Amino acid sequence: MLKCRVIPILSFNGFALVKTKKFASNARMVGNSIQAARVFNSRNVDELAFIDIYASDQNRKINLQVVKAIINECYMPVGIGGGVNSIEDIHNLLAIGADKVILKNMMIQNPNFLNEAASIYGNQCITIAVDAEKKEGSYFLYNRLNRTIPLFEFINKLTKFRFGEIILTSVNHDGMMDGFDIELVNQVVRMVEVPVVANGGGGQPDHFKDLFARTKIEAVGASSIFYFTQYTPLDVKKAVSSIGKPMRIITKNVITNTDIREI
Amino acid sequence: MTIAIIKYGMGNVASVQKALHKLGYSSIITNDPDEIRKSAYILLPGVGSFEAGMINLHRLGLVDLLTDEVCIKKKPFFGICLGMQLLATFGNEPHKVKGLGWIEGEVVKLHFSDDRRIPHIGWNNISLANKTNVFLQEFSGLDYYFIHSYHFVPTTNSEIVFTVDYGIPIVAAIKKGNIFATQFHPEKSQEAGASLLKKVIGSHA
Repeated sequence: MLKCRVIPILSFNGFALVKTKKFASNARMVGNSIQAARVFNSRNVDELAFIDIYASDQNRKINLQVVKAIINECYMPVGIGGGVNSIEDIHNLLAIGADKVILKNMMIQNPNFLNEAASIYGNQCITIAVDAEKKEGSYFLYNRLNRTIPLFEFINKLTKFRFGEIILTSVNHDGMMDGFDIELVNQVVRMVEVPVVANGGGGQPDHFKDLFARTKIEAVGASSIFYFTQYTPLDVKKAVSSIGKPMRIITKNVITNTDIREI
Repeated sequence: MTIAIIKYGMGNVASVQKALHKLGYSSIITNDPDEIRKSAYILLPGVGSFEAGMINLHRLGLVDLLTDEVCIKKKPFFGICLGMQLLATFGNEPHKVKGLGWIEGEVVKLHFSDDRRIPHIGWNNISLANKTNVFLQEFSGLDYYFIHSYHFVPTTNSEIVFTVDYGIPIVAAIKKGNIFATQFHPEKSQEAGASLLKKVIGSHA
């Protein structure tokens, strides 16, 4: 049976890890990206995502040396995003060991690029980051391209293009640790056939239980909970597993036969 | 023993080399015919579309070379993901194309009538197809990382080693003589993946 995934989604500025609240520009520095990758690898997380959240704004490429050092720590799948806008960028990331690339601005500016990339690397390689902002009861696609884009209309159009997964982040809940936007998740899951990773708002294990109980989601993203609380990805998985969802719970190192220590 | 990891522009070769290195195997990432001929073991990784994979293998002149090394000279071979699918007679991504044809069968798109997600992405447990297979028994029941929208349907079941359940039984690993291949990514499957790579490659060392 396919297991539900818990994916730490780590944002960085090219070097250090940062954490935003509601995508505001005053992100807090929360650590070293390579060290974080090492810790999450030792905790056997299902998957990792790293996104350089300022690369596009600053019109620069993601730092491949740093990404390479991050991936080097990982023996699980890794998705990388930030400033990816050419086939060459994708090639460069895959060549140093990324499994998926995460696209955002390109999906808005030139969705045909999704098809171009998928025809070479396969749909499964192309993840899109959909950041949803709720304003006065309506959802919009958050972007820093100065465009007003109604969210569900946009997703409807997007379903005609090729990609393998959506990381769906609620901007309103980002960094707030106040629970997920269940309504948003349910809407989007109904509209697409690819897996959706629900992200934004997970602050304690109960939030994750609530999300999995009330949606058909199979994957969840989180970051603040792992920086600012004592909870680990394992705690989250145990909580979700307690409501009967299949989870991959690894508590022993099968090679050395030792317990995995909480770090 | 040097393992030749075939470089044909289809994705993630670095992760495979890193996993092999951790297990103590020396490997080279190459598409050079001499290096491939000199190697003791051939590993075909790959993510991407079936057609793009075959076009690249043809363009690099590797189809005849690999077929000679693996099917005639019986050099041990490990295929991963697209590197397993390309062994089929035909693929369908994005339309019908000829594969390497080492294992009779066709690679077809996953299709479900319910709301099951495509691609099949994530960790899923594999099961031995033939319970008398003592050599690989220890891996039955372990979770491995899958990420694919197409799956291999062999003409006969005799070459299936592991299956995985995703609404339907999907071929997770196949073996035919010196050829071993997995739909999942052992190099991305933490210790469960490392121990399987070690056992299969180690049996030829």
